[in-house]
Amino acid sequence: MQYHFDFAPIWANRDLILDGLLTTMALSALGLILALIVGVIVGTAGAAQSRALRIAAATYVEVMRNIPLLVHMYAWYVGLAFLRLPPFWCATAALTLYSGAYVAETIRAGLGAVPRGQNLAALATGLTRLQALRLVIYPQALRIVTPSLASLASQLIKDSSLASVITVAELTYEASAIEGQTFRTFEVYITISALYLALVTLVTFGLMLIPGARAQGVQGFGDA
Amino acid sequence: MTNPPIIALEKVSKSYGTSPVLRDCSLTVARGEVVVICGPSGSGKSTLIKCINALEPYQSGSIRFDGVEVGAKSTNLPKLRTRIGMVFQHFELYPHMSALDNIMLAQVHALGRSRSDAKTRAEALLARVGLADKADAFPLNLSGGQQQRVAIARALALDPEVMLFDEPTSALDPEMISDVLDVMVALATGGMTMLVVTHEMGFARRVADRIVFMDHGEIVEDTPKAAFFTAPKTKRAQEFLGKILAH
Amino acid sequence: MPEVVLKNLPFLLAGLRVTAEIAALSIVGGTVLGLAIGTLRYLRVPLLAPALDLYVAFIRGTPLLMVLFICYFALPALLGYKTSAYSAAAFGFIAFIAAYLAEDIRAGLRSVKPGLMQAALATGLTRAQALRLVIVPIALRNVIPTLFSQYVRLLKFTSVASVIGVNEFTGSAMLVNGREFAPITIIGFIALTYLAICFLLSAAGRVLYARLAVRT
Repeated sequence: MQYHFDFAPIWANRDLILDGLLTTMALSALGLILALIVGVIVGTAGAAQSRALRIAAATYVEVMRNIPLLVHMYAWYVGLAFLRLPPFWCATAALTLYSGAYVAETIRAGLGAVPRGQNLAALATGLTRLQALRLVIYPQALRIVTPSLASLASQLIKDSSLASVITVAELTYEASAIEGQTFRTFEVYITISALYLALVTLVTFGLMLIPGARAQGVQGFGDA
Repeated sequence: MTNPPIIALEKVSKSYGTSPVLRDCSLTVARGEVVVICGPSGSGKSTLIKCINALEPYQSGSIRFDGVEVGAKSTNLPKLRTRIGMVFQHFELYPHMSALDNIMLAQVHALGRSRSDAKTRAEALLARVGLADKADAFPLNLSGGQQQRVAIARALALDPEVMLFDEPTSALDPEMISDVLDVMVALATGGMTMLVVTHEMGFARRVADRIVFMDHGEIVEDTPKAAFFTAPKTKRAQEFLGKILAH
Repeated sequence: MPEVVLKNLPFLLAGLRVTAEIAALSIVGGTVLGLAIGTLRYLRVPLLAPALDLYVAFIRGTPLLMVLFICYFALPALLGYKTSAYSAAAFGFIAFIAAYLAEDIRAGLRSVKPGLMQAALATGLTRAQALRLVIVPIALRNVIPTLFSQYVRLLKFTSVASVIGVNEFTGSAMLVNGREFAPITIIGFIALTYLAICFLLSAAGRVLYARLAVRT
């Protein structure tokens, strides 16, 4: 092996790496929050009494999930170019709609996993449908699905790397930039991969510390 | 002794970590004998018989099957196990195979019989346990009692010298218990050497030669059947018998 | 079908064919490798355990795009070989999906009730025979839905190969768009196509599971 390792140029570009890391974190955090909002709405609709709502939710989920994330990104950046959305927001929109579909499925399954009797019991004590949902059903559902949500969150962080393709200056983008300058191909990509690994591990463990989260395996469910 | 015992346990002890499960258990079974092991839950009965065919390891003592030390590293376990048939509490039929395939599998792969020989034998055994018409049925389409009878046929297919039963009827609905017990009684009267862990005292009364009573991992009593039912030697056995026979 | 799509259909279909090829290659290769790794991890083979743990942990914590970059840029630079984008992509996808499939298969093996292994051993089968004839067939049948969801995921992920220059479906479509400037139509077309094939693949998985699952 002729390759000579030299991490110095990587260290020299640490400010670029830091910028990329912060952008990745911002993109992921925003994407996750918005995806949760979308997912809760669509997921709840998916478990609703009304058949029309369930069909609408299922359609959203199937359509959004089965289109590759990269195509989502292109759709906002290229397809809707006339909107002149900055690349960061194109990526955020793509991540939101795509991951939102996965969150929706997880929430729908979680709601379905709460025993039927719980809702009946809550209504019997005079709570409204909405109160029952908010105070009794949802807390239990969230407890059940926390491991899946943790895995979706870590998947979202990894998925954010595709934003680099539509010129968002996140971690992967900076990796390519630094590689282009320093030609330290192996060192750059290994460093950046290690950073993703660290980020994903931190987030997964962090989410599992949420009180009440079931201590299940950190391996993902969910085929994000 | 002119006939050495086919199974000989000597001071067998076993623990899971720090909890002892078997304490100094000694037991012999002669060829053709039917021995029933009974006792409260957690007494170590199932663990004991699973040590005999090395499904469970043991820490000290010796278990000899026909003179072969079961726990020795040099023992060829798969070969040894083809001489010992085992029937489990939860049947454990292979769900992805038909009854016939269940019975044929080990014949072909462990004994090396040809598929046609194995099939003939399997069909004969199914007929013997009263399920000739269920050859192509899958376990999920069989009742518990039927599954257990297929399991017995599966164990018999290897022509074992000894049959071990681990609470064979405990997981069955009451109506099906007698079908399974009938098969076991037929085996016993046909001269098979059997070691049966069970609560079914009626069965014990019919065909057992000896009763072994276990409690807290120890063999508390080991007496001939008649003596056990009329006058158990120890207080613990008396209490147990009293409770079991009360209903 | 819109005119711009019709005009470029041969080119687009060629790209779709590449997508199908890479997907098929990766699904087959990944499943074989994943089965091997998953079984080895299930058996906790002492010598291999740390290496396999590292491999699985690395892949599962790394974005696919990074894995492809490593396969196409970093590894060739490190080890001094040349590779085509297509080969690097195939290699990367197989290595990528195998890590996920290995975990799913391992979970499947562990979910087979231990009594069945005992029953198989009790009839004189060796551990290897018991695994081959009883445990693995049951585990595989039960994880079909999980495996197929990974396959669908892979099909979508093949689009990322376009970033390293492979002319699969998405890459071809974006090239066409560069010429024709009809982004909404073209992207709409590929979106619908992916939707259709992913849906079909999922449906195939459901049918297979209905046929083969062993309910105990």
